[in-house]
Amino acid sequence: PLSPQTRAARVRVGKGDKPVTYEQAHPPHYIAHRKGWLSLHTGNLHGEAGAAERAVEDSFLRRFMFGTFPGLLVDEVVLKRRGNLLVVCALLGRALPPSKIYFLVGYAETLLSHFYKCPVRLELQTVPARVVYKYL
Amino acid sequence: QDPTAAHYMFQDDPFLMPRNAANSRLYSLSKESGKNAAKYIIKNFPQYFDKTFADPNVPCLMPETLTPQIEGMSEEALKERIHLRRVKESVDMFDQLVQAGTPVSLETTNSLLDLLSFYGDGESASEKQEEAKEDLEEPGVNASEQKAPKRQFQRGSQSSGPRWRENNHAERIFKIMPERNAHSYCTMIRGMVKHGAASRAYDMYTDLLNERHKADVHTFNALIRAVPYLKERFIERWELAKEFLTHMAQQEVQPNLLTFNALLKTLRRCGGVGRSMCLMVLKEMEALDIEPSLATYDHLLSIFYRGVDLPPSGIISEVLDEVEKRDFTPQDPDDGKDFHISDNLHWCCDLKDIKLAYQLNKTMGKGDNWKFLDVDRLNGYWSKFFSLLCMMEQIEVVLKWYKEMSPSLFYPTPKNILDLLQALDAADQLEVIPSIWEDVKQLGFTRKQELLEEFLSLMSRDQHPDEIQLAFAKCAEDIKAAHEPAGREQLPLEWTGSTLGNVVVLFSRAGRTQDAWTMMEHFQQANRIPTDKVMDEFLSCAKQTNCPDEAIKLVKLAASLGLPSSQRLKSRTEEEFELSEAQK
Repeated sequence: PLSPQTRAARVRVGKGDKPVTYEQAHPPHYIAHRKGWLSLHTGNLHGEAGAAERAVEDSFLRRFMFGTFPGLLVDEVVLKRRGNLLVVCALLGRALPPSKIYFLVGYAETLLSHFYKCPVRLELQTVPARVVYKYL
Repeated sequence: QDPTAAHYMFQDDPFLMPRNAANSRLYSLSKESGKNAAKYIIKNFPQYFDKTFADPNVPCLMPETLTPQIEGMSEEALKERIHLRRVKESVDMFDQLVQAGTPVSLETTNSLLDLLSFYGDGESASEKQEEAKEDLEEPGVNASEQKAPKRQFQRGSQSSGPRWRENNHAERIFKIMPERNAHSYCTMIRGMVKHGAASRAYDMYTDLLNERHKADVHTFNALIRAVPYLKERFIERWELAKEFLTHMAQQEVQPNLLTFNALLKTLRRCGGVGRSMCLMVLKEMEALDIEPSLATYDHLLSIFYRGVDLPPSGIISEVLDEVEKRDFTPQDPDDGKDFHISDNLHWCCDLKDIKLAYQLNKTMGKGDNWKFLDVDRLNGYWSKFFSLLCMMEQIEVVLKWYKEMSPSLFYPTPKNILDLLQALDAADQLEVIPSIWEDVKQLGFTRKQELLEEFLSLMSRDQHPDEIQLAFAKCAEDIKAAHEPAGREQLPLEWTGSTLGNVVVLFSRAGRTQDAWTMMEHFQQANRIPTDKVMDEFLSCAKQTNCPDEAIKLVKLAASLGLPSSQRLKSRTEEEFELSEAQK
């Protein structure tokens, strides 16, 4: 059982007007029970190297996505690595017209591919508003 | 293949999927421009992108090194600049070397000439962006007054592309070369032909012959391509081309595929002579064992189908059979551009031959053949195919194709929708119209006047069972909304007499009397006259819904508009309705 002083990745209960997504509402002990992983790679398996590099790349990619799609990211970015391919799955809001979103997509894909020397693919899903799981 | 999905370059999301042809072009272009923005960043800040930690190294994802490494004046530096395609710098370097007295070897000079002829004294694309626009000078192909070689860097007129001018850099360098070999002459000729100075190319060729050099295959190809610009009459053109061919045979140069394609291209401009000669050219090609490419077939077809009043020969089916038998890879730069597959489909349409169209479609599906059509042409191709289908095939086949192709492969143009409506009309399946109207709304054609008129006239022509009438009335309501002033700057569409009348009829049949009456009021506003049929329909609707007031209002309207049928309407109203005394 967890100590009541743990504060990691938990949204504290408030007045009931704070909208919270599914991802944010569940504290980390629910990973693999009610949540999935946000970043999937083989670095943490037995006998595999490179976990630290993947972690650094992950943090860079999250900041990059947060900056390139200003105000559009509704939920956390999910990163999937399949062989050499890096699939970045993001959930966007519909604030920009689709032509501008495609411009950002083309830009992000080429820039990241050249930066990490591996093919990068962006898979987006748009959502009219932030998907609220509950209000805390 | 999934019929509801868009092209794979678009994201698979209902907000981000393009709905019509304009949108799909816009999204693909914006994605491309995003890629260009990223490339610009990578080019200008290569220091962040050049760490090679990938194992093995991926050269296509590294930034390109475009700046010349070797500084100073030397022949290696010149060679490097030529290799990097920096025209201005290599010319400057060459001039510096010549002035300093260092001998430049023949090969290097030749490669410099190659570079200059290829770019025709204009810059390569990347350098154009860096230079500011200079004044436009006029191209002087036959300017005899220009004697002094110009040191200034000149640009051709923007409208016709870079042209070859007297005494530009290439010619200057050519003249001051101490020794020239065949290669130099050849490059000069090819450059001149490429940039439009055909007569100078011919003069250069005579110089070449005088010096007893041998020209190579590419030079001859260029000269044959230049023939239409040298002579006017068809016979003379053919004679000149034959002269070049005999020279080729004398100098023992083997013709290749591009030679024959150039010949056919020239024959295109030769009219009647071309038609008789081109089959012989084809036989020569087969004799020499050269496989014809797509451009060959395209030239052939265009020679035969140029005039509209010529009887169509069976050649197109033969050509299609040939094309089917083998896979094509692009060999000629004219291949993709000229084998207008949509044009071929156009000829199929003229011949009204649906089987040929199916055959063409099947050949497209084989192997790499789709690469010959880019995304813009693809839409044109499919839209012509669909028009042909609507004309020739049964309605079930048409609807099946429409459902399969519509959002994924191509976006219907307004003409396609009109054809589809006519086909439905011919097959008497007008109940599909509301679903097509939904598609039209999605495609964004709701403001096209002809389309709206066609829809309304088809819907209001005959009586239909009730549910369909309700659906029709809903469509009519949408169309009416399009005619009203919207909140934005778009001007509302003008009502015409027929559209107004049809809308009234549709509303009346569905029993929506109030809406029908508002439409009738529009008649006066728009200064149009309703037809008798409209009045009758309205009256029967009023009778059904039992509103005698409406009927009286109608009679008053008819009287005020001075219609000849107002008397008849009055009598009919009196018969059919039970009116109180006041109303009479």
